[in-house]
Amino acid sequence: MAFAWKAAGLTYNRYLAIAARVVRRSLKEGPRLQAERRGEMDLRFAKWQNGKQGENKSLGAANADAMAELATQEAK
Amino acid sequence: MMLSRAVRPALSAGNAAFARAAAPQVAGYATLREIESRLKSIRNIEKITKTMKIVASTKLTRAQKAMTDSRTYGQTSNQVFEEAETKPLPEKKSLLVVASSDKGLCGGIHSGLSRYARRLLETDASLDIAVIGEKSKAQIGRSNGSNVVLSFSGVGRDVPTFADAQAIADQLVLLPEEYASIKILYNKFINATSYEPVIIEAYSEEAITESPNFAAFEIDDEVLANLREYTLANSLYWALAEGHACEQSARRNAMDNASKNAGDMINKYSILYNRTRQAVITGELVEIITGATASEDM
Repeated sequence: MAFAWKAAGLTYNRYLAIAARVVRRSLKEGPRLQAERRGEMDLRFAKWQNGKQGENKSLGAANADAMAELATQEAK
Repeated sequence: MMLSRAVRPALSAGNAAFARAAAPQVAGYATLREIESRLKSIRNIEKITKTMKIVASTKLTRAQKAMTDSRTYGQTSNQVFEEAETKPLPEKKSLLVVASSDKGLCGGIHSGLSRYARRLLETDASLDIAVIGEKSKAQIGRSNGSNVVLSFSGVGRDVPTFADAQAIADQLVLLPEEYASIKILYNKFINATSYEPVIIEAYSEEAITESPNFAAFEIDDEVLANLREYTLANSLYWALAEGHACEQSARRNAMDNASKNAGDMINKYSILYNRTRQAVITGELVEIITGATASEDM
């Protein structure tokens, strides 16, 4: 049994996050705004090498990039 | 210029007349004004800490609600592994996730986490560390920088969302190294005044398949990877939410103590201020009376 999100290079969490976002967006105006606040993510992260902190990047964008890369690997 | 600025504080508090009269007596007058300005700044600090305490109290109620919810959630998600009696594989590397936050002014809860992490590092120097939050990052980065592989910031502004936990979990899963288990270190909320750094484990696929009671569950191999990622996010969410509640509660206590201390200092300084003021007035009276009696005799 192969999973569609694995084939697309997504992790299960990413898949869940996207599904949750779709559900939130399809809500009515009032509850939607409230629900969308629960889906906000504004973290930044940095990779460390040899005890030095690397560049600070946005976590959301980096995750999207990494998964796009996984997807191309998967397609090969 | 200097003079006008120096005189201004003395003009307030209704002792303008006194300031004019006492001008020649520099020493006593200067300390009096020093005390006054210090008193004023302590009053301001008290106001600030009181406000921060109120803010922390309101945030605490929300954080505690999120904590109780997330705790049930996380415990339910971990029940599978308790039933399966999953153990971490001893021979492989572990990743330690330290869940602190960006904000300070909340007592020793961040350094408590860092200290616990350092103790773990002493027993197992190969441990890799991912730090969530600037405060512990600065502390651990200074002492054990070479063990740190990832750091996250931007946590602690508000109650952590599940989206936060998922994004962090994704980034941890994408790390090149295969970890036997991911240990999440967070502050456990015992009651409003005590916290304890504890660990939740999130196991690797191998560890899950090798758990003694694994046969009791019917799990496809392919589903397992998803389950592992999902439980990692669940545990992270639990740790983040509980850590956040601890932080707010610690901040409330810290600000409460700070306000109390400021109150004590205000009392002490106002007594000192009044004493000095009276001493100065007495000194002046003595001078006037001596002057008057001296001129009478002539």
